[in-house]
Amino acid sequence: MSETMAVVTPEPKRPRLSVEAERRSRPAGSGGRAVGRTILYAVLIVAAAAMLTPFFWMVMSSLKDANSVFSVPVRWIPETFVWENYVEIWTRSDILTWIRNTLILSVTVTALQVLTGSFAAYGFSRITFPGRNALFLLYVATIAVPWQSYMIPQFILLSNAGVANTLWSIILLQAFGAFGVFLMKQFYETVPEDLSEAARLDGLSEYGIWWRIMLPLSVPAIASLSLLTFVNTWNDYLGPLIYLRDPELWTMQLGLKNFVSSLYDTDYGVLFAGLVISVVPIAVIFLLGQRFFVEGIATSGMKG
Amino acid sequence: MTTTATPQRARRRRSRLRMRNTLLGWSFILPNFLGFATLTLVPVIVLFYMSLTNWNIFGTSQFVGLDNFVRLVNDGSFRTSFVNTLYYSVLHIPLTIIVSLGLALLLNNKLRGVAFFRTAAFFPYITSIVAIALVWNLLFSPEYGPINEMLRFVGISNPPGWLTSANWSMPAVVIISTWRDMGYYMVLFLAALQTVPRELHEAARMDGANVFERFWNVTIPCLRPTMFFVTVMLTINSFKIFDLILVLTNGGPGQSTMVISQFIYRKGFEENNFGYASAASVVLFLLCIVVTIVQFLWNQRKSAR
Amino acid sequence: MKRIITVTAGLTIGALALAGCSGGGSEGDGVAEDGSMTLTLSAWSVATTPEFQLLADAFHEKNPNITVEVKDYDPAEYNTLLTTDLAAGKGPDIITQKEVKFLTTFQEGGQLLDVSDVELPEGIGGADSYKVDGTAYATPYRQDSWVLFYNKDLFEQAGVDAPDGSWTWEDYDAAAEELAANLDGAKGTYQHSWQSTLQGFANAQNDADLLAGEYDYMKPFYERILALQGDGAQESFNTVTANQLTYQGEFGKQKAAMMPMGTWFVATLISQQASGDADDFEWGIAPIPQLDASTTGTENTPVTFGDPTGFGINANISDDKAQAAKDFLAFAASEEAATALAEIGITPALLTDPVIDAYFGAEGAPQDELSTFAVQTHETRPENPASNKTAAVQNILNDMNSAILSESMSVDDAIAEAEGRVATEVG
Repeated sequence: MSETMAVVTPEPKRPRLSVEAERRSRPAGSGGRAVGRTILYAVLIVAAAAMLTPFFWMVMSSLKDANSVFSVPVRWIPETFVWENYVEIWTRSDILTWIRNTLILSVTVTALQVLTGSFAAYGFSRITFPGRNALFLLYVATIAVPWQSYMIPQFILLSNAGVANTLWSIILLQAFGAFGVFLMKQFYETVPEDLSEAARLDGLSEYGIWWRIMLPLSVPAIASLSLLTFVNTWNDYLGPLIYLRDPELWTMQLGLKNFVSSLYDTDYGVLFAGLVISVVPIAVIFLLGQRFFVEGIATSGMKG
Repeated sequence: MTTTATPQRARRRRSRLRMRNTLLGWSFILPNFLGFATLTLVPVIVLFYMSLTNWNIFGTSQFVGLDNFVRLVNDGSFRTSFVNTLYYSVLHIPLTIIVSLGLALLLNNKLRGVAFFRTAAFFPYITSIVAIALVWNLLFSPEYGPINEMLRFVGISNPPGWLTSANWSMPAVVIISTWRDMGYYMVLFLAALQTVPRELHEAARMDGANVFERFWNVTIPCLRPTMFFVTVMLTINSFKIFDLILVLTNGGPGQSTMVISQFIYRKGFEENNFGYASAASVVLFLLCIVVTIVQFLWNQRKSAR
Repeated sequence: MKRIITVTAGLTIGALALAGCSGGGSEGDGVAEDGSMTLTLSAWSVATTPEFQLLADAFHEKNPNITVEVKDYDPAEYNTLLTTDLAAGKGPDIITQKEVKFLTTFQEGGQLLDVSDVELPEGIGGADSYKVDGTAYATPYRQDSWVLFYNKDLFEQAGVDAPDGSWTWEDYDAAAEELAANLDGAKGTYQHSWQSTLQGFANAQNDADLLAGEYDYMKPFYERILALQGDGAQESFNTVTANQLTYQGEFGKQKAAMMPMGTWFVATLISQQASGDADDFEWGIAPIPQLDASTTGTENTPVTFGDPTGFGINANISDDKAQAAKDFLAFAASEEAATALAEIGITPALLTDPVIDAYFGAEGAPQDELSTFAVQTHETRPENPASNKTAAVQNILNDMNSAILSESMSVDDAIAEAEGRVATEVG
């Protein structure tokens, strides 16, 4: 309860006379601002370069032939551009199947995680009932256990249930994680109770409040949860490795790894081509979906 | 509503309210909980049981009580992995928080091309871990890598061996891991920054607070629930770190980057000592839980203020 | 809260019941009425590893009512996946033994059938690796051993005498140094980063017991390699790991004049030269350098190491399929199968003359006598003894290997540490 109080009325450090305030709050001269801007951009560009350098190397390596990817000294630009690597992936491998499977999994898991997670988070954050905190702690506690530790009993369970070697196994595994619940609960705690109170007085049920008020307010949180879940499912390797054995069920990561490797050998040029292809959709989604993350909550009139 | 209710009736009403709330709360939680309980909770409980046996997957297991735990205490490799895990976490957690929060603050503005910069920051997280390991190994290559070349260029004659040196391998891993994670946590902080009401900033600015004071007194308090979330997740993920180190160094050189999760994997899947590996998992779990509870209590205290 | 406890308890009991019963039953279908049946066989990278399908097809030709179905597993995680499947009762009928060090895992877990009654041809290599307490739990069909590959062109260019089968390690070192000095841009030799490229030879040629916990005999080997690294005769371990050098690339692109490697590389090199991924140059195979002169020369038998690859049978296989499975094992070890395997460049466990002829009959294979000798005549000692301690010991030795070769620790300290760890951790 007190958290929301903090949101609404933080105390300013020192009261000031309005005269001083005016002088203080005069913005710096436009010249100074331009310098500041330039420095900012310079810093950002250097930082972006640091972020993207490995990716750049990956793209360059995807255009090399197998034995030239790793060499001494390190080569950034390939000697000859081997575009065939990309052609090989598209024509000789089953990449469309892999993309299809990965898409199905990512979308389904994301939708389920967001729905059940935010639903459960509402229960945890807005409704008090005995054992709530202990149960929540239990949720968070399971995040603390590394997956490979309980993966065998989990596999036996799913295998006996008959869903191993189907896409359902991955969906079931990932869709009910504690992560989504945790994330949404923390976000709900930044939403003031007054809104829900007002809605309750208006006769809205708890479910209605969740659907009509909490969900729309938490668009940035939902956007981040969706994005992170999508990326995690898209890049998941170990889960599909264990559960999806039939080649028609393979995801991007699985199919790619299998396509380029034999026991002692990996064709890294083709591997990187595949990895580049696999990264692009996510980058595009993120780029285009920016506004969902940073859209201000259009409820500035809610205080009062 | 009625102030003249007898204590008995009030108690009954309270318990009815509690029952109603319980049912209501559970109705929200149930869909997620069902999946969670069957698929995660049950295997985890089985895991705890396994730590008290000498199971090796096949065949029946024998109950051995706390033998596995005693063995862990005396196991030099486990001690090494425990210390390495702490070493990694102590470096990684604050560094990542500072960098990702800084990025989020920086990129929460309407700069031109900010969408591009945000995507660039997120790129490391979406790149395949295999690619990351390969590229960074190259960049950190002691003789031929660009990083050491640059260091030699600025006059450092004996640059560190990074991933090939037992002393510098963990710092190198921390650098790579932070580089990878900052986009992830930046996304979380960005979303959280949206919940900071603009009016508060306006009010503070009116009162003459400068950027730093506004940050400290408006932004940080509003971010606390998310900060709690980020800290807990980051801590747990740091204690659990596995695949990045596996592909980067496989625990080497020597055992300088071996962490608990890798110890578990080796004992379980390579040496087929599943009971023993489960015991190590329990220790890891306890470590995470203790730290999480401390953070939980700290958060409660802060929010009560 | 109470409700949570009861529900959890109920589920737990159920799950324990599941976990307690280890998987029973293998996956293939039963025997049909007309006697025809399907045997499943676990394999890896089927698309690029043709040996499994080859054996399956050849066996089917001889036994038309038995079909062998090859199940593809990921090569890097083969053991984990196979273990998971077996634990859930979904394992294959014929279990391919990819690595000897996991044999005891399956055997102690009761997953392997006793196959001591499968008849193996005389002189087949690697059968002992699959025996535990005298009982055979798998049979070999393939055995790669380690030999020395060398680039004839580069030797000529540098004016150094090519190996003639009489080398000891001193000769090898001297040649490497001279080659590096005379060649421009190429190293004398290439040593890949696996622990086996050094420890395998040390163990085999000293006839050492890996599990005994004493590793002083490895010291001279490490000192030699550190010297070669230091002098620049070979790429340093740190560069190999950091730059992820591939042995195919290093030898195939003539970055090194020599390379100790397993015989499986023969087929790869031939096909890479054909496709252009490797340069076009003359190369040959020599026996690996020996510890001392007693085992050198073509009159003696050089000592090297190598592990077999073999097949085991799922212990839960139904009785009517068991005999068919054993027939498959016998077939895979036979000369007929060996010849077929040799034709596609696999080094079979049985190395009789017809097999060798088939092996070197491929286009692009070296035709000189030394190469034939190197592949056919050798005493191949196991790289991994069949014991449940092997995996743990190998992990410790791998840590030691990286500590020494990355120059993070002195040889003496690292060996002492490894010995201490084996004593306390493996016991």
